[in-house]
Amino acid sequence: MEKVILNKLPVPTFGWLGVNKTEREVESPVNTVKKYDVYPDTDGPSRIDITEDGRYEITVSASENTENIVIVYILAKKSQISVNVKASAYSKVRVVEIFENNTAVIAASDAKLDDSAEFETVQLYLGGDDTVSEIKASLDGRSSSFKCDIGYLLADTEKLDINIVASHKGRKTISEIDAKGVMDGRSEKVFRGTIDFIKGASGSKGAENEEVLLMNDSVRNKTVPLILCGEEDVEGSHGASIGRINEEYIFYMQSRGIPAEKIYEIMADARIEQIINRIGDEQTVARIRKALSGSEENE
Amino acid sequence: MKEKTQVADIDRSLYDFRFEEDEKDFLGSGMAPQLIKDISAEKNDPEWMREFRLKSLEIYNKTPMVEWGPSIEALDLDNIITYIRQKSRMNTDWENVPDDIKETFDRLGIPQAERESLAGVGAQYDSELVYHNLRQEAADKGVVYTDLESAMHDERYAEMIRTKFMKLVPPTDHKFAALHGAVWSGGSFVYVPKGVKLEIPLQSYFRLNAKGAGQFEHTLIILEEDSYLHFIEGCSAPKYYEASLHAGCVELYVGKNATLRYSTIENWSKNMYNLNTKRALVDEGGKIEWVSGSFGSHISYLYPMSILNGRGARAEFTGISFANEGQNLDTGAKVVHNAPDTSSYMNTKSISKGGGICTFRSSVTVNENAVGSRSAVSCESLMLDSISRSDTIPAMDIRTDKADIGHEAKIGRISDESVFYLMSRGMSEEEAKAMIVRGFADNVSKELPLEYAVEMNNLIGLEMEGSIG
Repeated sequence: MEKVILNKLPVPTFGWLGVNKTEREVESPVNTVKKYDVYPDTDGPSRIDITEDGRYEITVSASENTENIVIVYILAKKSQISVNVKASAYSKVRVVEIFENNTAVIAASDAKLDDSAEFETVQLYLGGDDTVSEIKASLDGRSSSFKCDIGYLLADTEKLDINIVASHKGRKTISEIDAKGVMDGRSEKVFRGTIDFIKGASGSKGAENEEVLLMNDSVRNKTVPLILCGEEDVEGSHGASIGRINEEYIFYMQSRGIPAEKIYEIMADARIEQIINRIGDEQTVARIRKALSGSEENE
Repeated sequence: MKEKTQVADIDRSLYDFRFEEDEKDFLGSGMAPQLIKDISAEKNDPEWMREFRLKSLEIYNKTPMVEWGPSIEALDLDNIITYIRQKSRMNTDWENVPDDIKETFDRLGIPQAERESLAGVGAQYDSELVYHNLRQEAADKGVVYTDLESAMHDERYAEMIRTKFMKLVPPTDHKFAALHGAVWSGGSFVYVPKGVKLEIPLQSYFRLNAKGAGQFEHTLIILEEDSYLHFIEGCSAPKYYEASLHAGCVELYVGKNATLRYSTIENWSKNMYNLNTKRALVDEGGKIEWVSGSFGSHISYLYPMSILNGRGARAEFTGISFANEGQNLDTGAKVVHNAPDTSSYMNTKSISKGGGICTFRSSVTVNENAVGSRSAVSCESLMLDSISRSDTIPAMDIRTDKADIGHEAKIGRISDESVFYLMSRGMSEEEAKAMIVRGFADNVSKELPLEYAVEMNNLIGLEMEGSIG
């Protein structure tokens, strides 16, 4: 086994918080790498199912003016998955990754965007004992954009460690990071989101937001939203809302005859549903619903 | 070509005068055990304090530098003068203060402020307090405001100090806390008895005159149940080319249902490394209000921490930072919710220009027992040019589901729409931009005592230049 440092915060903060990085042990030497090269497919999304443990490399090379959709469904118990995106000018790349009940997964996505390229990614975590995920988008080209939607459902002793970095280098670039999650049991989560406006990225805009619904007093949630700014002519914002459901909202729902425990259930479903709605692929959505109903039956 | 708002440099002429120090008063530099023993002997420490200093030195030698924040590599700790012998004993009569020191504080307006609007004043010059005075009516209520060294030898307070000194900020906290524990000198001891509400503020002013020196004052404030105090601290130093160091420590104990307002206007010179540690422990129903203005220093690490340790305890932090050329101000606040129904609110503004770097850094920790707690953090940053930097690094660590935690941050520049709107109401572009910057800082300046709000407005003097359009 070999110790690796993952999910480094671009600018470290107070050490005692334990958010500057994470460490995991991975098997060494690493198993053979399975590689996938994805090109635009007019017949529909490229679908990759990862069912066997191992290491995977997915490369998405989007040529100019093309649309590319890649859906990766991860069912393997132990895997390391990297997704490399090269988005040429005016291309659109959409990568959807679904993590379902894995044991130990390390995922890393790295995207480089040329002029007016668009990169959208949706990641949905349906449980998972220990998941570490990093997404880095380098907005190199003028008017390129990055949109990232994250949804997670954590229970029992599940752990999730996320690091998202949007580097604005080109002029008039746009990033949007939106995370919504529900934590129950003794689950633990770290969410790091960084919007980095590098000098020269004038006219750029970046926004990030996280909403976390906590359902148990044994959960541990850490949220670290960074804005780094070396350019004057930009607009950056971040927001976070963590905790219970607003008391006024609960009162309203109860006045409509809905019991308190059901209200939390409805709200938890609503958060994940918002992310599911952004997947935009019926086949994948049906699969997720089946997985969700399965887990409910097991309860 | 876009015309930029020009915000004038802070006029430092008020602070940049200095008097020659006498080198024979320097006890030494660096951190050798003998130097620590000499400082302890010079200050006539009780035995426990002498041991505490030596233990802190051991911790200092073992503790690594922090791995985050602005670089402090240029700070040569082996050559910082750690203690400068006092020229005279501490005085309670202003006329007995040595002339050059008296002139320093006269020029800074301290005696005038004391006469007009303060209940008591302490003035520290280099390593030692030179003046301390408390109005009779405050003393009659049982309020104690004196130097820590004297209080340590007063049997009424000796045990209180021994049990509280560096218990909130232990020397193991970080390297500069250990340094402070070993070489601390000067600072104030304030005790407000149960039920006493002191409506007029107390003020300590810290002046570091000597070249290449460090100032390590310790402020210990204890508020008993149902009491109120407003404490103000001001800091300044003349500019030298050698690095100076300020590694003070502030420990505040806020009793049940007591309120402490702690205001700081920090205007150190731009060769200063300001590595200060401030912490408050707030009991049931108590409240700590921090008001902090950071304008000076070359490098600052400053994050006042509030530990909300009793049910219903509250913390408010209002801060503004202004970083100009050559300045890297890493400031913010930390809150630990450690009891049920506690609440905290942080509101900060930062302005960077001329290559200055402002970083807002914060942490909100909500422990398992802090059910029903609430926290809201709001920070806004304004960049006035593209050679400056402004970073926002907040962190939240939440360990209970029964809490409401909110955070919002914004970064940007003066919006063209706002300028356009104000111009449509008849203002010039210069006036419009000046008004927007003043408005940006307004909700912080209104929290400051009036004379400091005026000083802050002077510090952020606006100067528009060049042809617009």
